[in-house]
Parts: sequence; structure tokens; C-alpha cells
Amino acid sequence: MGGEVRLVELVKRFESFTAVDGINVTIPGGQFFSLLGPSGCGKTTTLRMVAGFDQPTSGEVLLDGVDMAGTPPNRRNVNTVFQSYALFPHLTVFDNVAFGLRRAKIDRLQIKKRVGEILDQVQLSRLASRKPSQLSGGQQQRVALARALVLKPAVLLLDEPLGALDAKLRRQLQVELKALQEQVGITFLYVTHDQEEAMTMSDHIAVMNGGHIEQVAAPRVLYEEPATAFVAEFLGVSNLMEAQATGPSGQGVALQLGAGNMVEALRGDVLARGAVRVVIRPERVEIEPAGASGSNRVAATVTRSVYLGNAVRVIVHLATGQSIVALVANTGEDTTPSWNPGAAVTCCLPPTALRVLPVNTDSQ
Amino acid sequence: MTIVNRFTSAVLTVYFWAFIGFLFAPLAVIIVFAFNQSAVPVLPINALSTRWFQRAFDDTELTGAVLRSAEIGAATGLFATALGIMASLGLSAHRLRLRAVFVAILLLPLVVPYISLAVGLLLLLNQLGLEISLGGVFLGHVVIALPFSILVVLPRLRSLDPALIEAARDLGAGQISAFNLVTLPLLLPSLVSSFLICFVTSFDEFAIASFLAPPGLPTYPVFLYSGSRTPGLLPELIAIGSLIIVGSLAIVVLAEGGRRWAERRLQGATVAAADEPAAEDVGRLAAGA
Repeated sequence: MGGEVRLVELVKRFESFTAVDGINVTIPGGQFFSLLGPSGCGKTTTLRMVAGFDQPTSGEVLLDGVDMAGTPPNRRNVNTVFQSYALFPHLTVFDNVAFGLRRAKIDRLQIKKRVGEILDQVQLSRLASRKPSQLSGGQQQRVALARALVLKPAVLLLDEPLGALDAKLRRQLQVELKALQEQVGITFLYVTHDQEEAMTMSDHIAVMNGGHIEQVAAPRVLYEEPATAFVAEFLGVSNLMEAQATGPSGQGVALQLGAGNMVEALRGDVLARGAVRVVIRPERVEIEPAGASGSNRVAATVTRSVYLGNAVRVIVHLATGQSIVALVANTGEDTTPSWNPGAAVTCCLPPTALRVLPVNTDSQ
Repeated sequence: MTIVNRFTSAVLTVYFWAFIGFLFAPLAVIIVFAFNQSAVPVLPINALSTRWFQRAFDDTELTGAVLRSAEIGAATGLFATALGIMASLGLSAHRLRLRAVFVAILLLPLVVPYISLAVGLLLLLNQLGLEISLGGVFLGHVVIALPFSILVVLPRLRSLDPALIEAARDLGAGQISAFNLVTLPLLLPSLVSSFLICFVTSFDEFAIASFLAPPGLPTYPVFLYSGSRTPGLLPELIAIGSLIIVGSLAIVVLAEGGRRWAERRLQGATVAAADEPAAEDVGRLAAGA
């Protein structure tokens, strides 16, 4: 299967600003691959270099092994779904979708057939004669998708295509997009700043920050085994704590949190020693009554607790000096009285939930 | 409402109508006197008649001058608009050093007195050994009309989403066909406006035409000027002038209406119109897919 995109030492500098600062990544053919990061991280610039709208300052964009430098966008076997959709306002839905086929000099009957098929697929057949301005945002988005897919590109590039839609429609279209990608089987290169969106759809995600790639991994791995503090923070809330790694402890490492509190961590860089950073997801922090004993337990005071419906978010101040967030699933029990601000509790930080971040891999 | 407010609003009302009168009274006077039966344009008007229109249409010198001006105006409109598109494309380039300087140079004819430009053109033609001609008038008019064309076309061009052109390229169009298939149709409303403004600029222009129009081939403003000193011609000129005023107003109204219609069609989309199908869309999706 084709559709493999390889970026080699890719750099893009604008006058005084480096948007993409030497990235290396291989996007296997047929994957739903996301570039995820905050605005200004270089993800859109990267996409634009694959499309051919921007030329790399240095480095290579390889499509199925062929360097695309000097190939204009109209000769690349990739198509783009734009953030603004960029539908041609003076053309009907049919003519928008037929635009690329006409440029390729496909004969008229064939065009009619292929446009008809793709419009069926995105359920827009009955709107074929409308102008884009007569469509809703969700419908416009489908036209943009159909217009690109009808050309059967090796890679489909999507630049935050759901950004302009409301939350409910977004969630529906996320599921549809993933289903569509599996159905057509071509590579989707998807740019987004929304971690939930990337997690929902992607086979693999490259998390970008400041023109670099922080980590490339499957969604589960990114969440469970973040390589850097940035990744841990960007994919959902994460509690980051400073600690001293003092030596081995069973399979893991013994950590000193603040003055005196020793905990054991089994995840991450367990061979690190000295000053390290350790993360724990809020949903892995357990809150127990004050005075509960056992290992990996730290005394704490509740700062604030917020009822969220499906869970309770509790902000606690640990006796070690750090403040962390715990997310406790709703079990039907009314926890409000015992978790009033100022209430004394004990936090359990399970060894399997504590992850020591690798030293020196952090770009911050 | 307090007395002060009422007073202010009365003052504003009076001001508004005085202002309208200031703008339109001279035009109204022309139209009224065009139907005056008397050969002398003074009040009171004793009888109405359309005989001056009849006389004006029978005067081949007068109609010839109007047609001449219309032809030069149309040619100027086409040519200046074509140049205006090219200049606007250049000025809207993504990276352009000295953009402000180029804009200033291209808009310069707006502030140069037409009479200086006319003298300059006359001298230039002399130096080149060329006779004064209607061609010279046309060239002079292109110079003064070009800035208007740029002022109309450039803002429209800059308001186009650059992603539209990228989308065309992405879908397989080369640079030229992307321009022809996307940029040009989307510019169309502004091109029509540009043509009409350039046409009117040329049609009205006196200074350049008076220097460069050869004897015996006056443009309409030149004919008007020389004829206005011949009392016998005056009623005819008033009659044809009133037609031109009405014609110009009609062009402006049509052009503006057409532009709005075209832009609504292209840009589409009041928010309300786009919102309703969205709700329907969600419902359909929830039920079906």
C-alpha cells in the first residue's frame, strides 16, 4: 500500500522565526496520523510543506520514497481539506467536487459517476446543485472532504477540519471521519490542537512543541507513557512533582518527595538518580481517610473539591509541599462533607501510577 | 425626550435636508430647465416642452460628441480595468518590498492636476512627433482612470481567502488556470464596478480632452464647454445634460445593486440562513449515520 510520508530533517524558517526546527518522522501508508500541538508549534507549517504550499528551508519531504522538492501542489498526489474549507463560492457543490477531476481531463460521464458516488458516500447527493453558502458548516465540511477524496489521493491532509463546528457535531464527525478513513484506506495526516480529537481518531500521534516533535506514539502509549513533561501536560491534566531518586526499591525506584516522605515508583526511568520529575494522572490518585497507613501514602489537606457529576475533582495540598489534583469517580456516595476545604485526608500514590520522567529529554 | 434633544434633532433634520439640497439642487435645476419651453433658462417657467430633446437628438455634432465620449469611455474602462487587475495582483503579492512606494506611484495621478497631465501629454506627443488624436485622449484617460480601478479591485482581491487559490492548486490547477477559474470569477463584481467608474471618469473628463482632441472631433465635455458660450445651443445642452445625469444615476444604482447581489451570491450567507440547515443536519446525522 502506498501513501507513506517521510519527513527528514525538515526545517522551515520564516524571516526571523523558525516554525519547524528539524523534524524526522515516518508516517506509514494507510494510517490515521495526527500532528498534535498548541498553536504556533509548527504543525500546520509541516502540513503545508507536505501539500506543497510552503517550500522547506532545508530537509526533505518524501512521498512513497520520492522527494517532493520542486513538485508544485497541483502535481502532488496529495489533497487537502482546509480549515476554512475553501469551497469555491461561485460553484455548486457538484462543480466544487468535480473541479479536480476536470483538471485531470477525465471524461464527462466518468466525472458524473465519480462525483455522484462520493456525494452519496458523504450523504450530500440531494444538495449537489446548491452553492456552498446555502449549506450548514457540517455540510460544507463534507463537501470539502468529498472534493479532496474524489481524486483518490495517496495521502489526505486535514488542517483542523472540525475547528469551526460546535462540540456536538465535532464529536459525531470525529467518529465518521475515522470510519471513512478505514473505509477508503488511504493515509490521513491530520492537524489538530485538540488532544481529545487526536486521541479519538488516530492510529499514531506526533506531539509537537516549538517546532520539534516531542513524542510519536499510539494514543494509549502517549497517555500512559509520556516521554516528556510537555506530553504529559498536553494530553490531559497531569500532576508534576519534583523528587529525589535515592536508589532502587524492588522493581522500581525510591523517591523522596519533599522532606521525609518516601514513595516507590515503578514506571518510567527507574534507573534515574538524583533530582527527577515524577508525574501522576489525577484519576490515579486515591483519597483515603486521614491516618490511613501503608506505603506510598502521604498526608494531605483538601484545598477545594468540585462536583463534576461523573466524578469529583479534589485539589489537595500534600504534606510534602506540593499541590496535586485528584479525580475521584462518582460511586454514588456523598463525599462532600468529608472533603470540605481544610479537611485532613491521606493520598495514596500507587507505585504503578508514578512515572519518573527521563532526565534530559525535556525541551523546556 | 427633553427639549434640548428635540432641538438637536430638529437642527439635524434641517441640516440633513440642506445638505441633500446642496448636493442635488444643481442637478435638479438642469432637469427642470430641460423641459422649459423658453429658450432662456430663467424662472418662472411658463410652459413645458420636450422640444429641446428633439433638437438635441437632431444635432449630429452634439450626438457625435456624446458617442465619441462613450467610445473613449468604454475603451478606457476596459483597458484601465485590465491594467488595474494586473497592478492589484502585483500589489497584493505575499512578499513585496517597497509596497507603499508602489502604491503611491500608482495612485499618483489622483493628486496630479489633470491640466498638468494634459500639458505634459501634449508636450510628450510633440516630442515623439505625433499628432494630437483621440488615441491620445484615450491614453490620458487610462492614466487618470487606473488609480480608480486599483482602488476598487485591490481591496476585493485582498479580501479573497488565499486558501481558495491554494485549494485550486491542490486540486490540480496550474497557476494560470487557478487564476482564471477562481480568482477572476470572484473578482467579477469589482471588475464591473471598476469598468463603470473608469467609464464615467473618462466620459466626464475635460482638461486632457480639450488639449488632445483634434479640432472637429470634440468629446462631449469639450463640446459642452465650447457650446455653453453659444446662447442658441444652451437649451439643447441642458436637455442632453439632464439625460446624462439620469443615465449616470441609473448606472450607479444598477452597479451598486448588481455588486451587492453578486457578493451576496458569492460570499453567501447571512448567519441566520446558514444556521437553520445546521440544526437539521445534526438531527439527520443523529438519526441516520
